[in-house]
Amino acid sequence: MDKRIVYTNDDGTISIIIPTAEWLETHTIEELAAKDVPVGKEYHIVNASDIPSDRTFRNAWTWE
Amino acid sequence: MSVNINADTTNGLVLTSDTSGEIKLQSAGADIATVDSSGITMASGKTLPASALTGTVPSSSVDALSTATGSAPSYSARVWVNFNGTGTIAIRNSGNVSSLTDNGTGDYTVNFTTALSASTYCITAHTNHVTNTSNTRGFLQSKTTNRTTTSIRVVCVGDGGSILDFEVIDFALFI
Repeated sequence: MDKRIVYTNDDGTISIIIPTAEWLETHTIEELAAKDVPVGKEYHIVNASDIPSDRTFRNAWTWE
Repeated sequence: MSVNINADTTNGLVLTSDTSGEIKLQSAGADIATVDSSGITMASGKTLPASALTGTVPSSSVDALSTATGSAPSYSARVWVNFNGTGTIAIRNSGNVSSLTDNGTGDYTVNFTTALSASTYCITAHTNHVTNTSNTRGFLQSKTTNRTTTSIRVVCVGDGGSILDFEVIDFALFI
């Protein structure tokens, strides 16, 4: 299943990490979280299909 | 002449020697490689496997890419990526990129798989819309503080001056 990593920024907005195919050839999504999520941030691994494709209000997205 | 180390198919190992300072590695009497004071040279038609080619090649031996013409040195990209920044963000292809962080509208961080030696790199980028005809052109912008040896955060600015998602964003970095 295609995965994404979601974390909340200090200003309340959220960032979503999309792995590259080249990374997933040799690493896991958990290893990516350890490398690319800012230190100390709580993160969540979700299915890509759970991320809305309508980005009209992208800057207002929050994690619930 | 030379010192010959020959794997003979009849007699096994056959050694012949002289004082030339040169060694020939042979198989069934045919030269495979020659070692002398300047290094190792493969015989005509013989090659080293890629797995044997580890270590560092002297920069004096690599002053141009094989496809380059002219005498000026040429440089290859350290990082590159092509992605769709609209809808469900999709990375089409990449090199030395572990992930893309979607920070908001037109706001992305490119995370490098292998860190660079310095943050004083050069970026070249391109954006375009396929379907949005009112903002067909754009450029990437970044703050100095968002440029590190492990990632760079950029925003995509449309020709109207607004930060926008683009359908095609491609990016390469040189150092």
